[in-house]
Amino acid sequence: MSVATAHRAAAHLAGADNRIVVDGTTLTWRDLPDLNLPGPAAVLAHSVRYALAAARHHAVHGTELLLSTASRVDAAMRDELRDAGFTVLDAGADIGVAAEAGAAAGAELAADAALPARPRPADPGRLWLLTSGSTGRPKRVGHTLESLTTVRGHQPGRTWLCPYAPGSYAWWQVVTLSLTQPGQHLVVVEPDQLDDWPALAAAHGVDAASGTPTFWRRALHRDPTALARVPLRQLTLGGEPVDQAVLDRLREVFPATRISWIYASSEVGAAVVVHDGRAGFPVEWLDRAAPGRPTLGVRDGELVVTSPYHGAGLEGPVHTGDRVEIVDDRVLIIGRLDSDEINVGGSKVSAGLVRDALTAHPRVAWARVTGRRAPLLGHMVVAEVVPSPAGHGSAADPADPPEAPDEAALVRWCADRLPEYAVPRRIRVLTEIPVKETLKSDV
Amino acid sequence: MKELSRAQIRDLMGQVLKNQGKVLPDDDAADLREVGFRSLDFSELALRVEDETGEELNFDAPGLRRIATVGDVLDFLVELQRQ
Repeated sequence: MSVATAHRAAAHLAGADNRIVVDGTTLTWRDLPDLNLPGPAAVLAHSVRYALAAARHHAVHGTELLLSTASRVDAAMRDELRDAGFTVLDAGADIGVAAEAGAAAGAELAADAALPARPRPADPGRLWLLTSGSTGRPKRVGHTLESLTTVRGHQPGRTWLCPYAPGSYAWWQVVTLSLTQPGQHLVVVEPDQLDDWPALAAAHGVDAASGTPTFWRRALHRDPTALARVPLRQLTLGGEPVDQAVLDRLREVFPATRISWIYASSEVGAAVVVHDGRAGFPVEWLDRAAPGRPTLGVRDGELVVTSPYHGAGLEGPVHTGDRVEIVDDRVLIIGRLDSDEINVGGSKVSAGLVRDALTAHPRVAWARVTGRRAPLLGHMVVAEVVPSPAGHGSAADPADPPEAPDEAALVRWCADRLPEYAVPRRIRVLTEIPVKETLKSDV
Repeated sequence: MKELSRAQIRDLMGQVLKNQGKVLPDDDAADLREVGFRSLDFSELALRVEDETGEELNFDAPGLRRIATVGDVLDFLVELQRQ
């Protein structure tokens, strides 16, 4: 190890002895497979262990790295990466096993790598993220370990749940915390453990967890009793619009836990963090400039962020594509601008506000609201909902009925709260909350 | 392709109105304005027919016509399924 590398490793691996629970096994950062990565490398991880190993490799060596789950990168994207100068490596599948076995023998992970179509010099220290692709094909956004490390200063010791897909912005947030700060342990949730993560988390003493609202709604829906057994001190939501209903339900389960929501993205980094248990952020935060902090603005109903944590090449105000609405003293982030607005016979409806009306029903665990082509009006508002489990409500409280509402009851509920044209007329009832690898459900 | 009968469409129309707290009269000559059956209700009924048949209705095909009564709605949707 060179002197420069040793300094870098000391700075970025202060958490080297933190515990990491992967697939039920407790390790430290030091115990992960030792990869040999050429720069620039695009590591397509088939297992969490190898994703973490690639992250550690970057922290120690500064190798230019793009990290993603293998499932997010199709053949066309692989070619795109090779054209952009990356060596594309599959890690954690057959090749990964070879690398682990070969670590002691000095074998190279790159043996079966797809070499770059247009080789170029590496840009040391550069980390590339693929955006979630909610607006189309994933895009590459350039970061560094520093720009991804938004939690600084001494933190109380925590054991963090890491349910996110490797390589996503949210994943790096939790991973950089554990890499750079002693006492920040990780319990990683593999995709096949997502349904039962509360048991895993409780068994390993997880006391801090971050997930999308969909992730939390699923946990509340599946087994609130199992969820309540997780000894959480810190609970964070992000990655999707956060409504008051999900905050309130989590507060019922975790009365003493600090519940925060965060607005962050690959493009602008972490821009808003709210701890007061309410949806939206205070309107006084708008257009308030402070050194080292993001400046938030609203332009034509869109959230605009100027952030010190933005991705490379995104200096200045970044139009986020997220729609906001100011309601009383709060700025509510409603949903994506390009998909939120539904035109019903010339009247504009916010899908996000209709969704909020539905999820405010005590027996609705999740809702998705969309526009559907319809005669006369162009589009109508339609919805899918997942009822919350029986027993949540009480027979004595007519506002919180024990039985799951049917379509007619939900239409009436919405009719009492929304303009007539915004009331969803077709409401399909699902049994399970759908979720994608990003832990979002594209509501 | 599954096709709904006039009676089946009438049942769906009754459901649409019931969800709005209204009642579908037995008389096909009943005026839609008096029944309170409006464009939102008509669109919902069309979606219900589509959901039942699994086919999207093609509203571009038939010429414009006056739809003033319950019977007009039912005739129109029966015909539309055959386009």
